[in-house]
Amino acid sequence: MTDHVLRVGFAGPVGSGKTALIEALVPVLIDRGRRPAVITNDIYTQEDARHVRRNLAGLLDPAKVVGVETGACPHTAVRDDPTMNLAAGAELLERFPDIDTLLYESGGDNLTLTFSPVLVDMFFFVLDTAEGEKMPRKRGPGITDSDVLVINKIDIAQYVRCDLDVMTADADRVREGRPVVLTNSLTGEGLEKVAELLESYRGVTA
Amino acid sequence: MTAALDSLLLCLQLTDSAFPSGLYTLSHGLEGFHQAKAVDPDSMPALLTDLLRHSVGPADATALALAHLAAGAGDWDAVVEVDQRLHASKLNRELRLAATRTGRQMLETARPAIGGEALEHYAELVAAKRTPGCQAVAAAVVYASGRVAAEQAVASDLFAFAVSFTGAALRLRLTDHRRAQATLRATAPVIREVTEAALARELADLGGCVPVADAMSGRHERSEARMFAT
Repeated sequence: MTDHVLRVGFAGPVGSGKTALIEALVPVLIDRGRRPAVITNDIYTQEDARHVRRNLAGLLDPAKVVGVETGACPHTAVRDDPTMNLAAGAELLERFPDIDTLLYESGGDNLTLTFSPVLVDMFFFVLDTAEGEKMPRKRGPGITDSDVLVINKIDIAQYVRCDLDVMTADADRVREGRPVVLTNSLTGEGLEKVAELLESYRGVTA
Repeated sequence: MTAALDSLLLCLQLTDSAFPSGLYTLSHGLEGFHQAKAVDPDSMPALLTDLLRHSVGPADATALALAHLAAGAGDWDAVVEVDQRLHASKLNRELRLAATRTGRQMLETARPAIGGEALEHYAELVAAKRTPGCQAVAAAVVYASGRVAAEQAVASDLFAFAVSFTGAALRLRLTDHRRAQATLRATAPVIREVTEAALARELADLGGCVPVADAMSGRHERSEARMFAT
């Protein structure tokens, strides 16, 4: 482990907006003077890695975005046997020693996904309103034990019959007060709060 | 505990599919064959034995046997030579990268679990980039450090390969959970044969010859979609 580097995980179901959140967060981190890099864990293609490179072109060196294959086991790749992600992170840091923030995006998975503490210092679990207002009540270690729970796509809640107040109150209850942030990654709403919570872990767990 | 039993337990630990060295991310060429429609459930076991006999056996298993002998004798120049030759024998980038990634991670996990001066020394050589750190050579140093005999070490690593390969076959729907176990058991005589050949092979003969598998791997490296790193 390199002590000056903060390692951050992003987990959540398929399509909840993990990639969009990272793409919205990277410019905020860069504005704050940080030097991030991204490791994506696609299930079957390099689509996420390509998407991040394309959307952050001109802002983030494409070589600082790498994809890791997970052999159809996204949870294994970040929890039970994170070795290939550790290797990818070590190779990135060797190539770009200036990186101070490594963002690991897990492949979309179920609600039990958590990150190995050896791989990341903290992790976000990303839900979205279209999955249904009931999601926090379903619990699962991802929802209850993540360092920060993000409820994304708040702009479409009204169209998918999701009562944001109920969803937030349920999330607060099952997480016993741990942070919950509402975001719209397309407009940047909530992203400063996400960055602030991320930064609060810097130096704490190193 | 007898030394033999202790060796057995270490072999079981290192070949356990839960041992964290990233093997589950590799299909060992199988996904390339699958994408090219060059393998089906009936021919998958034959592909496994072909790769054992003509690729893994002459290359990785031979490197393991030679590096085990050299590490046991403290001859680090010889360990490095075996490592470099094995790395050079892997024609595709994805195969070289997989070998060094899994090798380095195996080393990092084994150092605190098994310990010993040999492991520390080899890890230093890898960190200093004086040797590539291929999985088979890292495994050789780990097994030698745990005082596991060369024959058991080679057979164990070949078995770990076979388990990983059939695990990938399962995820690619080229077998099912019961047929996979039958395939593994049926592979035992081949593992015995390949182990014996690897223990007798010399450094000059290290390296497999599997042109079709190399071509499949080359295509896989550039494929649009894939689940596995190899």
